[in-house]
This record gives sequence, structure tokens and C-alpha cells, in this order.
Amino acid sequence: MTKPSAPILEGQNLVKHFWVKQGRGPFARRAPIRAVDNVSIRLDAGKVTALVGESGAGKTTVGRLLAQVVRPDAGRVLLDGKPAPAGRPRSYAAQVQMVFQDPFASLNPVHRVRHHLARPLQIHGFGTGDVDAAVADLLRRVALKPPDQFASKFPHELSGGQRQRVAIARALAVRPHVLIADEPVSMLDVSIRLGVLNLLADLRDEERLAILYVTHDIASARYLADTISVMYAGQLVESAPSERLTDSPAHPYTQLLLSAAPDPDRPAPPHLAGRGAPPSLLAPPSGCRFHPRCPYAMDICKRQAPPSVTVADGHVSACWLHVDAAQRTSSENGVPVGAGSHIDKEKQKR
Amino acid sequence: MTIDSTTIAQAEPTFQRSHTVRLPRSPKVIGGAVIVAIFGLFAAIGRWVAPYSPDATDTKNWVQHVLVPGTGPGTEFPANYYPLPLGPSAAHWLGTTVFAQDVFSQLVTSTQATLFVGLLAAAIATGLSIFFGVTAGYIGGGTDEGLSLVANVFLAIPGLPLLIVLADYVPYAGSSVILVAVIIAVTAWAYSARVLRAQTLSLRNRDFVEAARVSGEGRLRIIVAEVLPNLIPIVAASFLYTTLYAIYAYVAISFLGLGGSPTSSPPGLWNWGEMLREGFANNAVRGGWWWWWAPPGVCVAALGTGLALLNFGLDEFINPRLRIAGFTGKAARKAGINSRTATVITPVMRKSAIPPTGAMPADAVLEIRGLTVDYGYGEDAVHAVSDCDLVLRRGKVLGLAGESGSGKTTLALAAVRLLRPPAVITAGAVRFRSPKGVVDMLDATQPQLRAVRWSEIAVVLQSSLNALNPVTSVGAQFDDLLRAHRPLLGRSGRADRAGELLKMVGINPDRLRSYPHELSGGMRQRAMIAMALALDPQVVILDEPTTALDVVTQREIIEELIGLRDRLGFAALFITHDLSLLVEIADEIAVMYAGRVMERAPAASLFHAPRLPYTHGLLHCFPPLHGRRAPMEGIPGSPPDLRDLPTGCAFHPRCRWALEQCRTQVPQLSLVDGSRREVACWLHDGGQTVPDELARRDPMLVAQ
Repeated sequence: MTKPSAPILEGQNLVKHFWVKQGRGPFARRAPIRAVDNVSIRLDAGKVTALVGESGAGKTTVGRLLAQVVRPDAGRVLLDGKPAPAGRPRSYAAQVQMVFQDPFASLNPVHRVRHHLARPLQIHGFGTGDVDAAVADLLRRVALKPPDQFASKFPHELSGGQRQRVAIARALAVRPHVLIADEPVSMLDVSIRLGVLNLLADLRDEERLAILYVTHDIASARYLADTISVMYAGQLVESAPSERLTDSPAHPYTQLLLSAAPDPDRPAPPHLAGRGAPPSLLAPPSGCRFHPRCPYAMDICKRQAPPSVTVADGHVSACWLHVDAAQRTSSENGVPVGAGSHIDKEKQKR
Repeated sequence: MTIDSTTIAQAEPTFQRSHTVRLPRSPKVIGGAVIVAIFGLFAAIGRWVAPYSPDATDTKNWVQHVLVPGTGPGTEFPANYYPLPLGPSAAHWLGTTVFAQDVFSQLVTSTQATLFVGLLAAAIATGLSIFFGVTAGYIGGGTDEGLSLVANVFLAIPGLPLLIVLADYVPYAGSSVILVAVIIAVTAWAYSARVLRAQTLSLRNRDFVEAARVSGEGRLRIIVAEVLPNLIPIVAASFLYTTLYAIYAYVAISFLGLGGSPTSSPPGLWNWGEMLREGFANNAVRGGWWWWWAPPGVCVAALGTGLALLNFGLDEFINPRLRIAGFTGKAARKAGINSRTATVITPVMRKSAIPPTGAMPADAVLEIRGLTVDYGYGEDAVHAVSDCDLVLRRGKVLGLAGESGSGKTTLALAAVRLLRPPAVITAGAVRFRSPKGVVDMLDATQPQLRAVRWSEIAVVLQSSLNALNPVTSVGAQFDDLLRAHRPLLGRSGRADRAGELLKMVGINPDRLRSYPHELSGGMRQRAMIAMALALDPQVVILDEPTTALDVVTQREIIEELIGLRDRLGFAALFITHDLSLLVEIADEIAVMYAGRVMERAPAASLFHAPRLPYTHGLLHCFPPLHGRRAPMEGIPGSPPDLRDLPTGCAFHPRCRWALEQCRTQVPQLSLVDGSRREVACWLHDGGQTVPDELARRDPMLVAQ
């Protein structure tokens, strides 16, 4: 990998627990749902990073942590290398914007398209000039033409794809550097999904936007993203350039996801490695959280969480399989694992 | 740019949902509006149209005297006389009171104060309820608890007694209608506040509120500009309701003499309650002078009815379910359909003669011919499914693919007549070959259908994750089913069978004791599949059975289904929008677009050599998991609105190979490449050069 430039937005060792009541009554015990545990992720200008995982894996929470809609319990969010200010001030909103999953819910049904696009302009002080011209320009950027006709429409007069474009235009209004798109196409009809994904790709290429693409669909992540990170049960298990990740997955969970994904080109029915369902995040399994489903589980997997291991250039996998046997034993004796690995070198540099 | 341009020019023919605000125009609402408007008019101009002053005594028409009670012979007072109230006449349309005052003039004059107090009190109460309800709901936490406590205290105090106490104790309450209105409002706001709080709570978590927050919008602005406008229908309904309450309350306290009387000092205003009070105090009922006490009573009742009817209309407007029932119910009755039957059965209204069908193909279990299904009746009908043919064969999986609104679910459920009205089957034939003989599904009676459903044709619905009864255990639900359909099995026999069924779908039989909420989504879906298979059906209809599940669970369930199909030999109709999944699991695939089956082919043929431009486009909507990454185009435009379909081939506005013919003529499904596949496309009518993309070699043909 060429020397990486500084990321625009970075989450370091993010932790988020949601506390839920166990049982009933005012004295019920409260227990944490470990939604996100020690996740580090970086977003670069002009790159799409995909965050892939099943429902409940914590990928949406990571997106919301990065957008600072929820505060992390531990870890920090860095915007341009500086810690994100508390309270999500407008200066942060001006740089990091979100696109929501359901375009039927994310636009207020009582307001016209113009209102949705003009408000962010006014809030962030772009409203001094010709607002209508700015709105028209936004609509043109998301390929809603002719813009003046779209501006005066209500959300219910638009199709799902058109609504999602309006939602993207709203996020672009404040000229952010980072766009967090939480499942932006999963509620759309199949035939119009690619149009929205291509729009995101164009924004990345032409406006150098850093995009986090949160999805459960690994095929669309491969199509759009430059890097894919896979989450399982609140933790990051693998991260690699997208073609590399789908062509040679290094983590058994990624392999399972790929074998389960619909794939008409597959010659024979897939062999599912690791049946069953993800664990409860109230009491996650000890050690590696995937070990109860993992066909390659070893003794150490049950006892100790695996370290992140660099298996190739830019390809990181959190799995004991990629730590050689000698190191595995020494790690059990208390010596830190992978003392010579690339990751730790990088960490030391920082 | 690679962006497909979703321009208006493309969207216009396909997507024109006119949701223009259309208040329900039922007779009830119109009646209510007319009543309220008449009272409003009298309130506005009553003062000037009243023929007399309400206080003026008409000395000319005194005809007879009535002894004032407590005077005259036998008492210590000299006899004192009232004039006898006169019945309705040309001079006094509603007669006169015992004070020789004109009842009609009093009635008309009273309307103003009564309505004014009603509206003012409702306005104040609505303002209070918005403030308390929306603030509490949006801010939440301690603020919510504090404000809710206040509202609950007001709710707990009985309204009328509080009102009486307040009206009695507040000095000069009677002489000031504004003070009266405020007192009424104080007793009336709490209920609406609770309703608004609950609504705000649900709005607060909606994505558009979060989106406004993310874009940096301030809290007050979000409440006023984003949340409140969405509450307007509810605010309007609660305003009408409170007006009604306030009028009743004003009449009630005036009747008790607390609302101020024109004769007291300082004088109050004429209102209906006051008229009633005077009448009752002066023996109007005992004297039989109905023209005095009845009109204000009738007015209270009529205005109340008018407001209630208007409120009903608003309810219909807010709740679309009621609107549909109200609108189409009438049309249904006109068409002779009883839409209120308890059991689900799709009505059949075939205009044309039943098409001649001949013998069923030997291996066919379910045969659908020319099925057409409408939603609604007459001119408003939407053609959800038009002229569809499908054949389910024994032991095979038929995939039905299409986008939302393409009619795939409607087609499948109409075939087994599981759609409720306003869905109507208007043409076609459906035949099911059961072991006992061929059943014509569209001619079948209710008992015949009941015998076929579940035991012969089982359905796993889209929302079946929620279809299990949450209050009984899974085992009890299996037991109910088996007891109803397998009466010969004993208790232990049923338990054994239930355990066996669960094991079949990969769930431990211990789980029979579990309640649905104790199972994961995947397990519940498996349990539903086990229930569908409990009676060894010939046909299983699976409507998006795995859409809500994760890929791994989806794959496991599909593997199980295919295994069961191989073992048990049922025919499956698998409905999904995910064509790439269907290619892997189906033997044959039918592609639907805008209510029509447009292409039907063996799965491999369809995948490797699509003939329909839409299928070709759809196949290129799923990015591959292997090979070089290349930009893909998708399909331009959006799926059409069934209420406003393009002419000719419904796909032509989005088709890159559209011909002139496609704009005007609807293509029919016809055979191509021999007898195994059909396509409805003008490109394949023999007279055109077929584009290379649609002329790939069919691997199935090569194999033969």
C-alpha cells in the first residue's frame, strides 16, 4: 500500500453499550447490550468504505457514532485529526452528513422538496444568496431534472428512488466532506438501486466525498466500495480492499457471508460453513465471538479474543488462524501477540 | 456521467400519485358541514336578523294571564300575572315565553354566545394541549414526567364538578364569556394533551425528525416546523371534539345558573343554557309550552350532531383504513358484493365467459389461466393483475419474480381466493388437482375452499414472522391445527407429529413449549413453514418467506425447503423480488411487470439467455460476487403506478429497444425457442432483428 494519507474521519476503539432492563419493575437489573465493542474505522477523501454485517451486528450504530448522533462510551471520533467536539455543533454537521435507510420516512411528508433542501442551506449560512438557484443546483447534482419541477413537489409525489436522491441532495446541501449512508438502497426497488449507488460513486469521484456505505448486501458493497469492513456481533472481524475481501476472504465469518449470499453463477449449491445465528449481545461468547459457529474453532478461540492480523497489504483479519502456532502459545502465556506485525508497527508510529 | 437521469419526462407517465388533499365526501360529512355552517351563519348575523330584541316584551299580544306562583288568593301577596306564552304564529315563529319575549329571537341571539364560548374554549384548550402534549412528547425525560403528571391530575378530576366549582367561585365568571371559556378550557385540555403526547413520541423517532437534527436544526424549529404540521389532523379532530364538549359544558353551567343571566347584575349573555334554565324555572314543561324549551334543546343536539359528523369525516381522513371502507363499501354494494364477510374469500365477478381450458397437463397441480384481479369496482378499479397464466407442476419450484407493485402476491393469493374485497377476480380460471379430483377454485363454495386450504394448498405469508399467536405456545398452535384437521390423532399422536414437524425444519422439539417471542426470527419462520407443511399439502405458496431474514438464515431456510420439496414432493410457488436468489433455487421462473407475466422460462435459460428487455435489465441490477468490477446501469426510470399505466407495453418508457408498436399495443405472451419458454415482447414477433443481448444461446436448448 502506498503511504496512506490522513483520514478525514476516523473512529478509534469505539465502544457503545445500550443499557436495557432485565425483567420488570423499578428495581429490575440493567444489563448492557454490547452493540459496538472496540471498533476502529477510517474514512478517506474520495473513497467509499463499506461496513457489512447482519442485522444486529452494530453497523448502523458505528455509522451513528461517526455522525455523532450518539456519543461513544469509550474511544474517540477524529475529524481531520482533531477530536470531534461534544454536543454535535453545527460546524460538525456541516462536515459530516447522513443519508437514512427509508426514503419514505426520512422526508417530512408535509414539506415540499424545496423546504428540505433550503433549510440546511439557511441553517449553515449558505442562504444569503439565491436559495432557489442553490436548490436547483443540488437537484441537478443528484440528477433530478428539470429541477424547478422537482423543487415544488411533495415527497409523496416522488418515487422511492427520487426520494432517496432528494435525501442525498439534502445531505450534500451543506457541502460536507463525509457522507454516512445507512442502507441507502435496501428499501428501494431492485431496478433503481444501481442508479442510487452510481450516484454515490459519482459523488466520490467528482467531489472527493468520503462515504461510509453501511449495508447487509456484500455484493453491492463489492460493487461500490473501495474498502470493505465486515462486522460480526459488535466487532470488526475483517477489513480489506473490496475485491480482495470478496475474492479471498480471510475470516471464517466473511467466508460464511459470501457462501450464503445469492449468486446465480455458482455451479453447485453452496456449502454453508458455520450455521446458526449470531449470539446475544447481552452475553456474548467468550474469546472470539464467532467461535460457537466457526468450523475451524480452536481451544484458544474460546478463551481469548483474537488480535487483528495483517494477512496481506491492507488486509486485516481478526482471527487466530492467521497467528502462527508458536505465537498462539506464547500469547496464552501472556506475551502480546503479533509484536512484529504490521498493524502494531503502524500503531507505534502513531 | 453514468447517472441515469430520472427526469420528469420519464417519470411523468409512470409516477403520478395524486394525493391531493381530498376530504371524504360522504353524506355524513356533508350533512355535518351544512349543520355547522347554518349555526355559524346565525351566530354571525343573528343579532341583525332577529325580528325582535330578545329582551323585549310584546305587550300587544298579551291575551291571557297566568298567575305567578306564590301570589294571589291564599298567599300574603297580591295576585300577580304573567302573560300566557303564545304558541308559534306568524308574528312569533316559535311563539313567546311567559315574559312575552320572542323565542325565535332569543334562540338566534343565543347562538352567538354559545358558539363563541365553544370555539374560544376549544381554542384555549387546544393551545394548552399542544403546549403540554408536544413539549412533553418531544423533550421527554423529566419534562415529560412533570407535564404528564399535571395532565393526569386534570384527567383524574371529574370535569363537570370541577367546572361547577370553578364557575361558582370565580367572581364575575357569569358576566364574562371569556372567563367562562377559560374555565371550560381548563377542564377540557388534558385528554387531547395525552393524545398529542403519544403522537409526538412516535413522531420524535421518525427518520425525518432525526434528519432535521442531523442537519443542525434547532429544537424549537423542529417542534414547530417538522413535528407540529404532522399533527394538524389530530389537532383539528381534538379541536372539534373540544368545541363539542365546551358547548355542552357552557349549556350545562348556564342551565345551573352559573353561566350568567341577562337579568342578573352584571348581566350575562343570552345562550341556549340560559333559555333552558328560564323555561324550566317557569314551568314551561308542566305548562306544555314546548315551543319554549324544545328549540334550544334541539339546537344543542343538532349542533352537537353536526360537529360529531364533521369529526367523523376527519377521522376518515386521518385513518386511511376507514376511508377505504367508506369509499369502496358503497361501490361494493352496488356491485352486489358483501364486503363484510367474516371469512376471507375473494369474490369472483367474471364478465366474459369462462375461457375453454381443456384437460389439465398431466403433471400440473395448480393451473392458472387468464387470471385478472382488480382492486375496487367499476371505473375506479385498479387492474393489479391482468390476464396471467401459470402452471405449477408436481415437485417443482416455480419462481415468481417482480418488483413491488408488480402484482406477484396478488396473483398468488387471488388464485387461492385469499384476498379480501375490494379485490375482485374479474376474469380467468384456476384449477387445482387434489388427490380427490380437480377443484375449480373460482367456482368453489366456501366449504370446498376450506377443505382445500391448508390441507392441500398451504401459504407462508410475507409477514408470517408476526403470524404466530403471541399468547400461546408454539406447541398449542400445532395442537389446534392438528386437532381441527386430523381428528383421528389422539393427544399424544398430535404431540408426536408436532415434534416431528419441528425436527423436520431443524428446530429442537423442546421448543414446542416456547412462546413465539422466545424464538428468533429465523426460527419463527421455520415454525411457520412447519405449520404450512403439517397436513402434507400438494402446493405451498411462499410469499417472500426470507426477505426479512439475514443472508445466512435465508440460505439455511431455503436449503431446508428444497430438501423438504425433494422428500415430500410438493409443488412450490416462490415469490420474491430477488431474481438472483430465484435463479439458484427455482426450476422455472415467471417475471411479472405491472400486473402481467412478461416472461416465463426454465431458470437457467432465463438467467443465461433472457429474451425480455426487462428481465435482461433486472439481471443486470445485481452486482456479481466475482470477476472484474465494471459499472452497471440498472434500469432507468421507476416502476409504473398501476393507477396510471403507460399505454401499450407497460415497460416501454424504460426500455432501450422500444419500438413504435410498443407504445400502442400490448404484447401477448407467446412461445419462443420451441415449446419451453414464453415472452411478451414485440421484439420477438418474428419481424424484428433481435438485439444481441436478447438473442444469446439458450443453454437448455444446447443441452437437448
